[in-house]
Amino acid sequence: MAKFMFLYRSGNDCVPNRSPEEMQEAMQMWGEWISGGVEEGWLLDPGDGLKSEGRILEPDLTVTDGPFAESKELVGGYCMIEADDLEGAVERARSMPETGGRVEIRELAGHSMG
Amino acid sequence: MTVPTEDLPAEAPALVEHFFRHESAKLVAVLTRAFGVRYLDLVEDKVQEALLAAMQTWRHRGIPANPSGWIYRVARNRVLDALRRETVHRRAVELAGVNEEGITTLVEEWLREEQVPDSLLRMIFVCCHPSLDRRSQLALTLKILCGFSLAEIARGLLISPEAAKKRVQRAKQSLAREKIRVELPPAAELEARLAAVQEVLYLLFNEGYSTSRGHEPLRDDLCEEAARLCHLLCEHEAFSTPETRALLALMLSHAARLDARVDSDGLVVLLAEQDRSRWDRPLVRQAELWLARSKTETPSRFHLEAAISLTHCRAPSLETTDWPLIVRYYDRLLDLQPSPLYRLNRAVAGALDTALDELQALREHPDMKGYFLLDSALARLHELRGDLAAAHAAYTAALEASLAPHERALLEKKVSRLRGR
Repeated sequence: MAKFMFLYRSGNDCVPNRSPEEMQEAMQMWGEWISGGVEEGWLLDPGDGLKSEGRILEPDLTVTDGPFAESKELVGGYCMIEADDLEGAVERARSMPETGGRVEIRELAGHSMG
Repeated sequence: MTVPTEDLPAEAPALVEHFFRHESAKLVAVLTRAFGVRYLDLVEDKVQEALLAAMQTWRHRGIPANPSGWIYRVARNRVLDALRRETVHRRAVELAGVNEEGITTLVEEWLREEQVPDSLLRMIFVCCHPSLDRRSQLALTLKILCGFSLAEIARGLLISPEAAKKRVQRAKQSLAREKIRVELPPAAELEARLAAVQEVLYLLFNEGYSTSRGHEPLRDDLCEEAARLCHLLCEHEAFSTPETRALLALMLSHAARLDARVDSDGLVVLLAEQDRSRWDRPLVRQAELWLARSKTETPSRFHLEAAISLTHCRAPSLETTDWPLIVRYYDRLLDLQPSPLYRLNRAVAGALDTALDELQALREHPDMKGYFLLDSALARLHELRGDLAAAHAAYTAALEASLAPHERALLEKKVSRLRGR
């Protein structure tokens, strides 16, 4: 078993003009996906959303504004899962409700004991 | 932007169906009542943002004990934040001597459960204001009072998304320009304004009910929403007139047959072939009750159409339907309104021999040119009389109209059945 992090790129539920009804449906699907994953044990951490406003600390220790909400690469949220291999993780990602953007699937390198 | 966190419990209660949709309608009505129609767009945006925040937070942490209150607080704070940034508004508020605290107290009073219908009713009259044309009234009612997105309005009313957007935008601009207040109509205008609302709800329901473009689940929602709003009118003393009650009876009696009109493949099933055991009996009983409570000396078309619909609901089969009664109702409808559609339906409900002449005559009516249901009814009539050649010719004429795929399929099925005889 390996651990994977899903990064929700280009926003988090920024599907434009989603209607209230569609939001409720999406929430329902997310709820089922999360509770199903926790029950079955493969969802290690349901994660969270990330606010778009933040700061960036440059290597020279100067602080700049960013990242910008318009950025296509903006990470809008994350979760942690467990799977046999990368293929298995991709399958899990496929079963996710729409995030409104791309999902980046990255295996943890295992450097940390945690 | 912070979101309230204090009332998030571990165990999540489920949300009722259409919670977001109705919460959106309620908040937009109450907040627009507080800030005025010129801030309608702003209020809608902020309510939308609050719903989005709710969705993102709740899916991780579960639904709070008081979901309505949660969304309201986020929406209110965001509206106030946005208004604070608007200098013009700040000055206006200062001049009027209104403070944020005052507005908040007012809004919270209006959000109390027993107070909500009042704001919704005011908003219904705003959306059906006589300064707007009928089509804009329909679109705006769906947007504001039913929480439909522009895409859903377009799908529900079978118009392009651009057309839906244009109608809603124009309606909002017109309301702001005319400085329409979020209030109930004055007594002198009540009758005419209520009639407009009834008409809009009737059209909304029919848009949803009409099978002429095939079945789509979203359109059932149109029926449900129209009936919900009509019910709201029926619970208010001034608006619960015999006509409003008859309209509700009409909607409920049709709604009782909604499910039976669609087969397992999602195809439309006509009245003659419907499985009547699938009709929703409790809903039929409710319709009967509302019609009984709508007694008046001067029945409206809602009364008569409800009576016709309920005559169908009461009949155990097509053959045992009280057709002479239905014909009499159509006669009275024709006295009120000489519509060719009523004539067509009356003819079909009537005796075979007179029906043929009436339908032939209707073919000459300018409003019925290329109306395939007329040719289809003619074909059926010829078939019943055993004149298969004439039936075939009439179906061929019906097929010449521009038809939706499912209509064509339905007609072609009839033609092939005819060939098999």
